[in-house]
Amino acid sequence: MQRKLILSALAAAVAAPAVIAATAPTFAQEISFWSWRQEDREQYEEIIARFEAQNPGVEVAFEAFEASQYATILSTALAADNAPDSMMVRAYGAFEAVANGGYLMPLDEDKVPALADFPQSAVDAVTLRSDGVTYAVPFASQTMLVMYNKAIFDDLGIDEPQTWDDLIAAAETITEAGMFAFANGTATAWQNETLTFSLGASTMGQDFIADMRAGEADFTDERFIEALEKVNEIKPYLPDGYQGLDYPSAQQLFVSGLAAMFAGGSFEIANFRSQNPDLEIGLFAAPGADEGDTPLVATFFDGGYAGSATTEHEEAVLKWLNFLATQEFGQMFANSLGNITPIPGVTFEDPLLQEVADLNANSIPYVMLTDFRYQEPSGSVLIQSEVQKMMAGEATPEEVGQAVTEGIATYHEPFQD
Amino acid sequence: MLNFRLTGRGLWIAFLIIPPLAVMVTFVAYPIVSALAYAFYDWNGLQRGEFVWFENFRIVLFQEPFAEWTRRAFMHNVIVFFSLMVVQNGFGFILAYALWREPFGAAFHRVAVFLPVVLSTVIIGFLWKLFFHPIFGVVNQSLRAVGLDDLAQPWLGQSETALGALIFVNAWAWVGFPTLVFLAGLQRIPPELLDAARMETDNEWILIRKIVWPLIAPSATIVFILLFIGSFNWFELPYIMVGLDGSPFGSTDVLGLYFYRTAFGNQSAGVQDFGQGSALAVLIFAFIAVVAAFWTVRLRRREIQI
Amino acid sequence: MTTAPTMAAPMAERGLVGTLGRAGLVQILLIANTFLMLFPVVIMVFSGFKSNVEIFQQPFAIPDFTNLENFVRIATETTFPRYMFNSIFVTGTSIGLILMLGTMAAYAIGRYEFFGASFLLLFFIAGLTLPLKLAIIPLFILFRDMGILNTHLSLIAVYVAMGLPSTVFIMTGFLRSLPRELEDAARMDGASEARIMFKIMLPLCKPALIISAIHNLVPIWNDFFFPLVFIQQDSLKTLPQGLTTFIGEYNTDWGVMFAGLTLAALPITVLYIILSRQFINGMTSGALK
Repeated sequence: MQRKLILSALAAAVAAPAVIAATAPTFAQEISFWSWRQEDREQYEEIIARFEAQNPGVEVAFEAFEASQYATILSTALAADNAPDSMMVRAYGAFEAVANGGYLMPLDEDKVPALADFPQSAVDAVTLRSDGVTYAVPFASQTMLVMYNKAIFDDLGIDEPQTWDDLIAAAETITEAGMFAFANGTATAWQNETLTFSLGASTMGQDFIADMRAGEADFTDERFIEALEKVNEIKPYLPDGYQGLDYPSAQQLFVSGLAAMFAGGSFEIANFRSQNPDLEIGLFAAPGADEGDTPLVATFFDGGYAGSATTEHEEAVLKWLNFLATQEFGQMFANSLGNITPIPGVTFEDPLLQEVADLNANSIPYVMLTDFRYQEPSGSVLIQSEVQKMMAGEATPEEVGQAVTEGIATYHEPFQD
Repeated sequence: MLNFRLTGRGLWIAFLIIPPLAVMVTFVAYPIVSALAYAFYDWNGLQRGEFVWFENFRIVLFQEPFAEWTRRAFMHNVIVFFSLMVVQNGFGFILAYALWREPFGAAFHRVAVFLPVVLSTVIIGFLWKLFFHPIFGVVNQSLRAVGLDDLAQPWLGQSETALGALIFVNAWAWVGFPTLVFLAGLQRIPPELLDAARMETDNEWILIRKIVWPLIAPSATIVFILLFIGSFNWFELPYIMVGLDGSPFGSTDVLGLYFYRTAFGNQSAGVQDFGQGSALAVLIFAFIAVVAAFWTVRLRRREIQI
Repeated sequence: MTTAPTMAAPMAERGLVGTLGRAGLVQILLIANTFLMLFPVVIMVFSGFKSNVEIFQQPFAIPDFTNLENFVRIATETTFPRYMFNSIFVTGTSIGLILMLGTMAAYAIGRYEFFGASFLLLFFIAGLTLPLKLAIIPLFILFRDMGILNTHLSLIAVYVAMGLPSTVFIMTGFLRSLPRELEDAARMDGASEARIMFKIMLPLCKPALIISAIHNLVPIWNDFFFPLVFIQQDSLKTLPQGLTTFIGEYNTDWGVMFAGLTLAALPITVLYIILSRQFINGMTSGALK
């Protein structure tokens, strides 16, 4: 008797998938969509529901992987002919690593007309430099700036700094009040890159970037060195033992109100808010020496939505990608995911997000990522370890500039003399 | 009849030996041989490109800044090996010697010293990373508690102390292994031999050098060689405690981290290179194999001479 | 035990030895070392019962052991139990296979004389010192081609390959030491080779099998490197790898992190305390020959 029960249960288990497959409507096209944003599942499901309501017959299956392993997972799947129909790809060098293999569906303005209205810098982030073809719909920009705890600033009567000296004076006041001025630590390598550009962008200036891209300046340029000197100046205002303070600890110091400022990326905001909903966050672009100059932030694009070159559902994938380029989607993306989208015409309900979008109007590119993360040794790897060294007092700003330039010069011709 | 019996037994032996052999060939021999082959190709992500002879070796050994990274990582492995040789194996021997005469509580001490050996490196790494936290960590809190505030410092954040801190944690975790191997060696020494030697000399040091050490040399050889292989494969502990970059500024970078970064990339590099990764793997492998083989032969020969 | 300071000993040592006695010195050394070994583990367990504030302000205080909040959060909010189950499954399957395949090879090599037997033994033993980590790239590609990346099979395959050499080594040595007479008598009675192996020889091998099992248990249970490369899906992660994910999520909550470390250490520690003799013998067995 019992054995019969087990047998029938087994039979049911084996048959179940077959039944489901048989009852599924054959005309619906299911396309897969891979993402590294596990924490955004719920919001993406809503976005997908909206898309499916407008496009009957297409179903999108969202699948998310751990961010730190996404690159390996995706390249493995692509190389093994296991490509998802559509996917998120990272921008710049990581994008090229995927696109160079010919795995992605080329997108032009016939296929995704909305791309014509995107800012050029956004489209460039997902365009292959060798053939000039765009392979993705760019989705979010990130901004390097300074976030601060409004309550602490109000208590101590500090205003948002207009010049670099103001910033140092504010840091001094906070330190005297017995708090850490900045929450940042330098133990996690990549934090040194975000620190450099969130504090130094204004001092580097847009002209430096233009000259550097034109091949007329390198990282030994005095404007870049001056920016490094500024970054170096904040050492006394970092937490005790900042050299051993890793990224999560720095976040924790800011969130718990033990430190007043955090120099880093706008992607921190959502995390800070979720960890401490009572925290009132303010933002500013770290200023340069002169009051008259508009302070600058540093920006980059996260990545884009791409289709597989070998998908069997090209039409459905294109419908999906076109939806991901609409203003309607952009608005949902901004509202529910709290990200800055490059899609024109989107307004931001969240005042903080609007503020970031406003700051983006005056920016430089987050240049080690946007320009020098295509080859080894990448500009990012170099600046991270060199600035870490500088912050430990074991290298001068000039030495940092020299080492970064020499490292990049091994493959970047304009730096070679 | 006899013939049948032989074939039967031959089949039986084949049945026994072929499955395990197949596992070894597929998952050990074949991958190791392939690693060598892969090092001679150019790789585009996970796709094998053209045959490039020794190009990948040239890059990791002679082209800056890769060559310098290779040298730096190698030197750190050398430091790790020699430090652990002294701290871990040296202290292990002293502990074994102390446990040898079965003092009061020896059984308890034996279990205690071996406890970290059974714990995962991931647990040990995270535990000590939290302990070394510059502000809230137990290490600095202890120093402050006893008035040594000046000694409190960001242990894992300074180039002068980070590698030392990692070596300390490794020794803490593994000292039980040499201790108990040495102890087992000591316990095998025939008591009559020692009694006889004690008639000759009272000097403990001479006793250790002339009698005890030569007799436990075989276990020492294996402990040394295992430490050597482990030191040049070092990956998990630095990965957990200081990250893939060998922070701060490469002062804890070792060959294992450098190899992994090259082969599987990290976010700041954005590039993964199986060719250079394989070249590094082959070099590390060849170095370990040659030194270990040479050393085994030499130590074994000396054992026999003694 | 009498202490006999010697003429040749330096004065300082003689003074110290003289005051405390050699046994006294030995006790101090051992107690200090045991304290150093256990103190971090005790702090880990204590901190698991504390909140952030308690950890930061009174790191050494004895906590309220009825405060299980951190552990409850781990049990209810995280996939920790899943990681634990995966570890048990992967480790158990691997060790089962290692013992089976290892014994087969060792039996053939140890109990029969055939052409190439010593070469085969050498081939297996060569694997003892090979760091398989360095073959991670070809293994990665091999598993991709076999379609078993991101499955437990990939881990089991590597662990079996890692564990076979030591098992063949230990088992061959043991099987060779068993007397021939038993076997010959059974053979006279017309027992088949398989019957001799299963009914007569294997039951005698139990101690060696236990040594081999423990020798492999700890490295496999604790392995972090291979899952790091082969496994991406959260629901397939083993304990050490899952622990890194878990710590990543709770990286500002020290109490929960310590509780997680405590829970992760618990199974193997309990097993070790119960079977400490077997653990020590098993794990040092490769080095004692």
